[in-house]
Amino acid sequence: MTGTMCTRCVLPHAPPDILLDAEGVCNICRNYEAEERMGALEDPLLETDFLKILDKHRGKQEYDCLCMLSGGKDSTAALYYVKQKYKLNPLVFTFNQGFVPDEHLDSARKTVDKLGVDWVYFETPFMKDMFRKIVQTRSKVVICGICSLWYMLKTYEIAAQFNVPIIISGWTKGQTTGSSRSVLSKCACDQNPEEFKAMSAATREFMDKHVRTDPKYRDFPYNMQDVMQIAKTQYKSKAVVLSPHWFVPGGPDEYVPVIKEKLGWDYPERSYPKKSTNCDLNFVASKLAVKNFGYSHYHIEMSNMIRLGVVTREEALEHLRMDYGDEVLGDILAKLDSRGMA
Amino acid sequence: MYVLGLSCYYHDSCAVLLKDGVVVAAAQEERFNRDKYSPVFPIQAVNYCFQEAEITIYDVDEVAFYEKMFLKFERTILSHVAGYPFTLRNFVQTMPLWLKDRLAVPYFVEEELRFKKPLWFVKHHLSHAASGFFASPFERAAFLTVDGVGEYACASYGVAEGTDLKVQREMHYPHSLGLLYSIFTAFLGYRVFSGEGKVMALAELGEPRFLEQFRQIADLREDGSFRLDLRYFAFNRGDTMHNRRFEELFGPARAEDAELTDRHRDIACSLQRFTEEVLLRMARHVHRATGMEQLCLAGGVFLNVTANSRLRNETPFRDIFIQPAAGDAGAALGAAAYVSHSVLGAPRAAPLRSCALGNAYTDRQIEVVLRNKRAQYRTLAPEALVGEVADRLAAGRIVGWFQGRMEFGPRALGNRSILAHPGLAEMKDRLNLVIKRREAYRPFAASVLREHVSDWFEGVGDSPFMLEVGRLREAHAGRVPAVTHDNGSTRIQTLTREENGVYHELVDAFRERTGLPMVLNTSFNEDEPIVRTPAEAYSCFEETGMDCLVMGNHLIER
Repeated sequence: MTGTMCTRCVLPHAPPDILLDAEGVCNICRNYEAEERMGALEDPLLETDFLKILDKHRGKQEYDCLCMLSGGKDSTAALYYVKQKYKLNPLVFTFNQGFVPDEHLDSARKTVDKLGVDWVYFETPFMKDMFRKIVQTRSKVVICGICSLWYMLKTYEIAAQFNVPIIISGWTKGQTTGSSRSVLSKCACDQNPEEFKAMSAATREFMDKHVRTDPKYRDFPYNMQDVMQIAKTQYKSKAVVLSPHWFVPGGPDEYVPVIKEKLGWDYPERSYPKKSTNCDLNFVASKLAVKNFGYSHYHIEMSNMIRLGVVTREEALEHLRMDYGDEVLGDILAKLDSRGMA
Repeated sequence: MYVLGLSCYYHDSCAVLLKDGVVVAAAQEERFNRDKYSPVFPIQAVNYCFQEAEITIYDVDEVAFYEKMFLKFERTILSHVAGYPFTLRNFVQTMPLWLKDRLAVPYFVEEELRFKKPLWFVKHHLSHAASGFFASPFERAAFLTVDGVGEYACASYGVAEGTDLKVQREMHYPHSLGLLYSIFTAFLGYRVFSGEGKVMALAELGEPRFLEQFRQIADLREDGSFRLDLRYFAFNRGDTMHNRRFEELFGPARAEDAELTDRHRDIACSLQRFTEEVLLRMARHVHRATGMEQLCLAGGVFLNVTANSRLRNETPFRDIFIQPAAGDAGAALGAAAYVSHSVLGAPRAAPLRSCALGNAYTDRQIEVVLRNKRAQYRTLAPEALVGEVADRLAAGRIVGWFQGRMEFGPRALGNRSILAHPGLAEMKDRLNLVIKRREAYRPFAASVLREHVSDWFEGVGDSPFMLEVGRLREAHAGRVPAVTHDNGSTRIQTLTREENGVYHELVDAFRERTGLPMVLNTSFNEDEPIVRTPAEAYSCFEETGMDCLVMGNHLIER
């Protein structure tokens, strides 16, 4: 992608939403720089803001919060801080749609044991048919986008079941697109920014064509706003979704050494992007996203992280490098009975 | 035991965190919100302090505020009532500030910080006194505090021993040396809070021919106390604090952009001499009244380096300690120290030897900024870095120097500094032209190797916090024109190997190349608060005419 990639971040030239100018800088970076120059960037979210929200709900229910734990560095650190630093009593929730490697689950189990917290583990093959359909219809929809609707719905359901007022995620600063403060009320999934538009359109198309017409998925949420609406009306849950990482300076450089020392956590051997802990579908989802749009949702996250000064562009490119072969993809697609699609 | 000290709602809002009486972190809010002298609740500074200590508010035992707000409110009400009806307009303008912010401190602390215990409100001048004494190396000492105004007090003195402070006398509003200086600062066309230093510099260019008029508006007594003749002032009555009668005595006030004349210089000089006279009398009286051999000084007036030097050299005290953050930021430190030591009984900590109490950034964090800005830079071993930077300084280059933790207080002391060759006469103009854009008559300060300071300057010994001036010795006349005022004085920071580490090494390397044991040191900013982060430093470098920038071990050149 060299030559068509923004020289500041890792987004490519992808008209009509992402456009590189004569200097090879994308419109997203230009907008950010202009806001920075004018002093129009929002004040950073502060740890005291986070504590204000936590304190509003602390001690009112059996569990103060529901922590989403994948076993990766970000969610493990979030859980660690919530329990040890912010002194909350969390219920932990791990979601497995059938593609989370055992290595990641072991890591989650180890963390939960070390911290002595209660854990809900939820495994379901419910999404498998939909994943298969995405691959077999060669839809442009990003698998992770669809999957996140389902696991967020489940998360809200469990939060409601245990009367938990706060959902804690390990989402990074790069995963808060749009306005930091507005995402607090939008589940961090504001999909209006330019870089998400094409992916959102693909999701809508897939929903209309394949999901809404399938009796099995008739009640499947249409988008994240829909998830929140269901949570509110059906589950009667008003839980807010927060990540401690949004409220403190720095990033993995600061918290990875802490969880390594305190919890014996380590990076998994195999995952995409590198140094993450994501389910195996990411190998397929990211490859397809790059093929369809020129970039994946991880490119968006990493670009945000670059703009915020958390990682360098070179590091981001290294994390995003797709150096896995068809063999890896073949194994994953075999699970979807779609080996031939590799 | 953690104690958080706070100051806010006037100017220089600030947060300071003490652990068992030892300062863990201290920073002014202006460095975070980039609003010079910011008065707002120091929420970002508080967050920084907690992150530095790796704690949250749940770990904080006490919160101390740097004044008694209701007492101050009482004084404000009474002084407005006394001046009614002339004070009505000012009263209407001021009250919303009181009701919205200044009287709501406990509410803000609970609301913003979730701290639910009662707060400690320490009297303003006691906070200043504690900031001076507990930071000092003295087991027992007298203290003298002088500023604009606290609750009622504008100056105070007393005795401190161990963890105990006793105020013996106070001078009350409106008879205030700090206010008087500010009144003249505004009269001479400068902004209050930021302009006092400019008046002090201007004073060195004038003659004290208005001293008689000063005696007319202020009845100065032998003990340094004085009473202002209120017929010349208009406190709480309008936009200025002087009146027509005042202008009959000193001439018309100067507009901000008007030309400076000899009259302005002479008024500034007379003000400075009067200030020095008041402080000398006060200090001598404190010596007589307390019998102490050591003196601690705090309060905004002690940012006056010329007066400080005279106090050191012309009073009977054997040793003097001046709080480096002498203004209201330091009062937050004092309030926290008073609660830690005098109230809760924490034993005295080691004296404050460094102002490096703010944010630090790792080489890796600096590198992320440089790479993403696509800066051309080299990473050097420390010894090589010092040598290369010294070469550039010796060649007349202007260097941005960003190292370690940000300084607390108003001075850049070699962690967020712009450095230059002090021996080049044109350097002052170059700096003013390409970076600082300040008044040509204002001198730049020098960071001088402690072991060489007495060879070069008279009247100065230790001045680690750049709070004193020295007079260049005759033998070196003309050798460091960029840091020497027209009258031969230089504002000095002394450097030691132990306290200043790599900065001392750099100046020593510069000495080896030039024979000058000092560099010009000015704060790393361009008409904004001193830079805090690598990104701010790099932006300042890009926007100004600095020749190179050193951040950690990274060297960036144009």
